[in-house]
Amino acid sequence: MECNGCEFRPELYYDDEFQIWVRREEDGSLTVGMTDISQTIAGKILNLRVRKPGTVRPAGKPVATIESGKWAGPIPNFFECTIIEGNRTVMEDPSLLNIEPYEAWVARVMPTEGAEVALSKLLIGDEAQRGYCERARREDIHCERNVR
Amino acid sequence: MSDHYLDNEEKKVVIMMTSGPSTPHRCATPFFLGAILASMDAEVDLFLTMEAVKLAQRGVAENLAAMAGGKKIIEFMRDAKSAGVKLHLCLPALPGYEIDPNAEIIAEIDELSGGGVLADLVLSADRVLSF
Repeated sequence: MECNGCEFRPELYYDDEFQIWVRREEDGSLTVGMTDISQTIAGKILNLRVRKPGTVRPAGKPVATIESGKWAGPIPNFFECTIIEGNRTVMEDPSLLNIEPYEAWVARVMPTEGAEVALSKLLIGDEAQRGYCERARREDIHCERNVR
Repeated sequence: MSDHYLDNEEKKVVIMMTSGPSTPHRCATPFFLGAILASMDAEVDLFLTMEAVKLAQRGVAENLAAMAGGKKIIEFMRDAKSAGVKLHLCLPALPGYEIDPNAEIIAEIDELSGGGVLADLVLSADRVLSF
């Protein structure tokens, strides 16, 4: 499903500004990535750097940093976690974030207080879809998937 | 870049910006770099002084771009703030540019600061960058 051409996946969790998506994994870890809205705003992404594995990231401290030709900033983080790994394939070819943002995950993390507590701070399902579409329409964001 | 993982310690960085509307091509990079540094855990204070104070005058950064047709400087300022950069405006420089601090300043400015604040920032910083 989509809004203004921005893909939305109802099975994923999102922050209330729809900058990141989060997926629960069977081992209790969480996978984090950029939304279609985020990659569109950033433009062609040139650089992705993830915090070193083993690093504890408090809520509010970014998991990663991205840089495009016109935008630079953090992949934000909303719960305390420890970095397990960054997606080396994407770090070596950040344009994958523009091409397939829901497949090109950024990092896997282990939430300090467990997945349930971490995910309770995020949105999913109908509530997330409403907010996602509202943001796309309010800010007139029309998503584009860049090709190489 | 050989290693894509970030492993730097937190640093305190001061960006001193003097470039203003007369050199628009110099006006985006300081905010862009500030955003990168802040998202890498640096504590970043960006101090607008000399001609750079004009960027804080309502209507200037909203209508200025570093290159023709490019992203407006106000957007670079907002990106920097979103990443955690603190924006200071040099209070003693305002009269020289006939800017009224009570009426004309954009909301993006965090602090109206005197020279003593800049001096303290410089002396306590790990790195000082000037543009």
